[in-house]
Amino acid sequence: MTAITGVGAYAPRFRISADAFEKAWGHFDADGVETKAVPAADEDALTMAYEAATRGIEAAGTDPGAVGWIGFASSRPPLAEEDLTARLGAMLGVSESATRHVFTGSTRAGTRALRAGGDALEAGREIGLVVAADAPAGATDGSIDHAAGAGAAAFVLEGEGPAEIRDHAEYAAPYPGTRFRVTGEDETRGLGVTQYDRRAFTESIAGAVDGLDADPDAEAAAIQAPDGKLPYRAADAAGVGTGDIRAAATVHALGDLGAASVPVSLAAALEAGHRRVLAVSQGGGAVADAFVVKASGETPARTALDGDGSLSYAEYLRQRGVVTNGPPSGGGAYVSVPSWRRSVPQRYNLEAGRCPACGAFSFPPEGACTGCGALCEYERVRLPGTGTIEAVTTVSQGGAPPEFAEQQARAGEYATAIVALDAGVDDASVSVAAMGTDAAPEAFGIGDRVETTIRRIYTQEGVTRYGFKIRPAGARD
Amino acid sequence: MRDAYLVGAGQSDYGAFPEESYRSLFRTAFEAAADSVPDGIDREDIDEAFVGTLGVGGRQLGLPGPAVTEHVGLGGVPCTRVENACAAGGFAVRQAVQAVGSGMANVVLAGGFEVMSDTSSDAAKYWLGVSGETEWERLSGTTFSGVYAQMASAHMERFGTTEEQLSQVAVKNHSNGAKNDHAQLGFECTLEEANSAPVVAEPLNLYHCCPTSDGAACAVIVSEDVVGEYTDDPIRIAGVGAGSDAVGLFERDTYTGVPASRRAAESAYEMADVGPGDVDFAEVHDCFAIAELLAYEDLGFCERGEAGALVESGRTDLGGELPVNTSGGLKSKGHPIGATGVGQIVEAYEQLAGRAGERQVEGPVRGLTHNVGGSGGASVVHVLERERGVGA
Repeated sequence: MTAITGVGAYAPRFRISADAFEKAWGHFDADGVETKAVPAADEDALTMAYEAATRGIEAAGTDPGAVGWIGFASSRPPLAEEDLTARLGAMLGVSESATRHVFTGSTRAGTRALRAGGDALEAGREIGLVVAADAPAGATDGSIDHAAGAGAAAFVLEGEGPAEIRDHAEYAAPYPGTRFRVTGEDETRGLGVTQYDRRAFTESIAGAVDGLDADPDAEAAAIQAPDGKLPYRAADAAGVGTGDIRAAATVHALGDLGAASVPVSLAAALEAGHRRVLAVSQGGGAVADAFVVKASGETPARTALDGDGSLSYAEYLRQRGVVTNGPPSGGGAYVSVPSWRRSVPQRYNLEAGRCPACGAFSFPPEGACTGCGALCEYERVRLPGTGTIEAVTTVSQGGAPPEFAEQQARAGEYATAIVALDAGVDDASVSVAAMGTDAAPEAFGIGDRVETTIRRIYTQEGVTRYGFKIRPAGARD
Repeated sequence: MRDAYLVGAGQSDYGAFPEESYRSLFRTAFEAAADSVPDGIDREDIDEAFVGTLGVGGRQLGLPGPAVTEHVGLGGVPCTRVENACAAGGFAVRQAVQAVGSGMANVVLAGGFEVMSDTSSDAAKYWLGVSGETEWERLSGTTFSGVYAQMASAHMERFGTTEEQLSQVAVKNHSNGAKNDHAQLGFECTLEEANSAPVVAEPLNLYHCCPTSDGAACAVIVSEDVVGEYTDDPIRIAGVGAGSDAVGLFERDTYTGVPASRRAAESAYEMADVGPGDVDFAEVHDCFAIAELLAYEDLGFCERGEAGALVESGRTDLGGELPVNTSGGLKSKGHPIGATGVGQIVEAYEQLAGRAGERQVEGPVRGLTHNVGGSGGASVVHVLERERGVGA
């Protein structure tokens, strides 16, 4: 048996409304989407996966080091080739020897990961972690892009727990051209043959649900939502009422979440306390899979799905990098990828050093002790990720180092601070330099409490470097 | 150690000069320095040279020293490039004093140059932060304006220093620079203009930041054994002090002062056997307005936290009891990185020799120069004394 013991979900804080699209285009092509989540310039599927997974792990009360199997699902991983679970696992503190998989190539990748995680448990793994994160994109003037939102969900899987995953069925029928992305291209496309698309959608969903052993008897249905209307058109096919679909729907507020669509809806339904949830995901091709989650009690969940920043259409294009020029060319100080990699324990896990001679903390843990000057072998300490701002500035447009020129063009002014990070021991702290995120620069003042998260720092030579940034404490609780 | 004397100093104009090369700028400075030696100097007299440059743009990253000394016909003398970011020039002067003091040389050229205006603004971005701590500080999104802005934020929070006091630094230094033909931004500005400029890194605005500059400066430093051959009104380099610290601000003990400057000043005062009260004028490193205020405190011109009140009082104005940055400072005269520390020596020479024209301080005996690398990773302080004045 497979059960969910912890749920995490996350959506970026930015929202854009259907009205903003109407003003820009004269029309909005994503039926039923009222607002949608927009990833900030320093976010992608990997950082959203981190946000959801840390919440899920915390909700489950699991030691990430005990996770034996991790699956990362996205229709748009930040890299088409490279196993991103190596970085995700390191960010989360998952063991180097855990089994890992990347699921991609379809908007049903998230539920595929859940299924595979269940199989791994059946085969003897004790703890699995499934993370689905996505931010679809299409041609700027098309319905796929108008609907495209952003979000992530994570599930900790164990043999027993409050929410059992039961029954499972799949269905496939060849329907080329419904939703696809050509190798090497960035935009997801559909031919837009209305009746053909609808038939592909409903036939595959009906086929999957029909394949279930028992009548799901669901009180909520998490159905793939390429827009805010299609899942309701599939109500009959899925054997549920439109009210059941609305009970789990996130598409109206967050937009099309791609491979995270059904996972985020499932997370929301479990957090809301629904006891029987039917989950049906679907991807272009056309393929669908269905399963049922039966909860016997409250499922521990930590979610951050609320938005707090409303974007204009121009700001939306900037945040997404549609209208910016990319990084400047040139040369100067440079941090090589091998150098960056040496700092990963600090960038991902806030690993500081404690001097065995005087007890002072140093960050990064190298060189002479900042407390007593001893050239010591530091005791490694993982900081809890909270702190207090000691000095801060807001870097105006154009004033960023070149590594951040593109980010600043997209996201605007940012705060950058020196923060006394709590050492977690007595009242000790250690000072670090960190960039602000997830709030306007004015939200960072001397004496303010902050917490760390992981974001894209910058991209050079095609390699995105991820690392910690700071945001106001509790900003995304 | 033998005493070292400053017998000549000169500089090019500071500014943006598309027609000039780093070599031609250096030549201008070298000739100005040679011409300023009261009793004249032959190139053959020079035993050794130290040249400060950061290498902005990377046009001659290796061997830039010989590239300029060969150009001005000093072929053959030992020449060493000195790199300590914005303090490269000041440390070149210190090396010259050491070479003379040790007895290894009698006549040493200390020079510096930088060309910063001939790259695109995009390419320049790659260079403006190279002397900060790269892996953590720069990659938290700061260039120098950001780091100094963080220092300003901490100083304002702790001591109540105001943005208007930062602007008063700009008004004073522009007023002085307007009297200096070599100044890049040789115009006056009002307090209102300085207060209302576009923000660069809050709380610092454009008038709280120095420009990027092309320029070169040279100084001739000789031993006590030969000074009589060059002048009968000698200026002694009475005190030299230097210090270093963590390159990244976040690694330092304080954000409201520059410990390396404090150490440098203590050593320089001790060697010269004087105190801050004995200084008649000072050239301090005002790359940002907050840097001048921090310098007041680090150099002992006022108590900690009192710098804002000091600039407000007018005591550091040209007519005040301790004029600071009579040349216009980095803010108005300009900041061609490697040249800056030597350029400060040029101003000290002109003041002590009574050649500062409109910006002449009345009868100065002792001047101080203060040159900082990065945001305080290195600092060097010199105390210069007109010997005839000391005896008077």
